[in-house]
Amino acid sequence: MIVLKWLFLTISPCDAAEPWQLGSQDAATPIMQGIIDLHHDIFFFLILILVFVLWILVRALWHFHYKENAIPQRIVHGTTIEILRTIFPSLISMFIAIPSFALLYSMDEVVVDPAITIKAIGHQWYWTYEYSDYNSSDEQSLTFDSYMIPEEDLELGQSRLLEVDNRVVVPAKTHLRIIVTSADVPHSWAVPSSGVKCDAVPGRLNQISILVQREGVYYGQCSEICGTNHAFTPIVVEAVPRKDYGSRVSNQLIPQTGEA
Amino acid sequence: MAESVASQSPSLSEQYHLEKEVKQDTSAKPVEVAPEVTATQAEEVTTDKASEESPAEEAVGEKSESPPASEEAPKEAPAAAVEDNVDETPAAVEESNEEVVEETPDEIKLETAPADFRFPTTNQTRHCFTRYIEYHRCVAAKGDEAPECDKFAKFYRSLCPGEWVDKWNEQRENGTFPGPL
Ligand SMILES: [Cu+2]
Repeated sequence: MIVLKWLFLTISPCDAAEPWQLGSQDAATPIMQGIIDLHHDIFFFLILILVFVLWILVRALWHFHYKENAIPQRIVHGTTIEILRTIFPSLISMFIAIPSFALLYSMDEVVVDPAITIKAIGHQWYWTYEYSDYNSSDEQSLTFDSYMIPEEDLELGQSRLLEVDNRVVVPAKTHLRIIVTSADVPHSWAVPSSGVKCDAVPGRLNQISILVQREGVYYGQCSEICGTNHAFTPIVVEAVPRKDYGSRVSNQLIPQTGEA
Repeated sequence: MAESVASQSPSLSEQYHLEKEVKQDTSAKPVEVAPEVTATQAEEVTTDKASEESPAEEAVGEKSESPPASEEAPKEAPAAAVEDNVDETPAAVEESNEEVVEETPDEIKLETAPADFRFPTTNQTRHCFTRYIEYHRCVAAKGDEAPECDKFAKFYRSLCPGEWVDKWNEQRENGTFPGPL
């Protein structure tokens, strides 16, 4: 991995996509770790099958070349091989399906009560985040919009088309509930390193529960074609230590809502 | 993480009991068995807390001082106390592990609407709507400023987008709210 980085002379300051990236981004949540592990498990079978099929193919081409062996054996029926080539693939697909379903259902499951709820509301073309756990009235006290930083305003080291003006600050190592919805057209709230991609549908609240295991800045993008600026609707999640979260939210986010 | 899971796992079923109780309150007389059950549960939780020696004395204090507000309240008060406790337990336990500075928990307490077994799926639209209705039914039954309704207000504010709440408030004022109030 380090060699690859030297090779392509890239830096990866944060959990964002890299140039020439082939695999997934590093996992930040147990769900993403599960997805990566499942991918690797399935790839094991995939490569076995690939090698086997290629071997059969090449062997057939080689041995039944029209100059070598123009008339192959005329076998039309073979019970043994037909049983084998029915049962064996179904066993393989079962071995793939079992862990896949286990992961799929564990992703939906809310195991423990979440500690905070954050609402991500998609707009054309920005995200609005509401932190309403601390409200004492129906008035929203902690709501802010998250716009992409345009290319000319970027500072050195910031990622083009990914950086936003107001990041979602969440506590690390804490169970989060994220309620995703939209105010206009369907969007999709996706952060690859947390293994989350959740449709934002107007009139509907979709819940995802995540547990960010390490502090960091995680980048994602709107993942449902939503109009002209669909490509310019990024998502940035900043996971901070839990003890810093309270002060971050109360000190930093409230002034920002004032100016917005 | 393990101890927080352990301390929370019984809370969900208690949660479920509470919701039923509240609904019965609004419609008919509350069941007589419920207070005993919740009272014992409350005791259990208190003993748990005492043995943990965490900075939860404040929580215990809160619970004991929460007074029965209205005539119906005696049935409700222990239940509400359990609820408070349950919500605070994970935060209190984990914060004591990480040795937080005293001031931060005062500023922001990490608690939100708990997971609800009536709404186990990804789609939480009805969860938000139900909490909103529950709050307004509770207020209708017990009067404004009833302390046991506050938790429902917290829940629906946590779950519902502000825009939706504004719209529903407007609809209630105009008498066009579509839900059963
Ligand atoms: Cu979008």
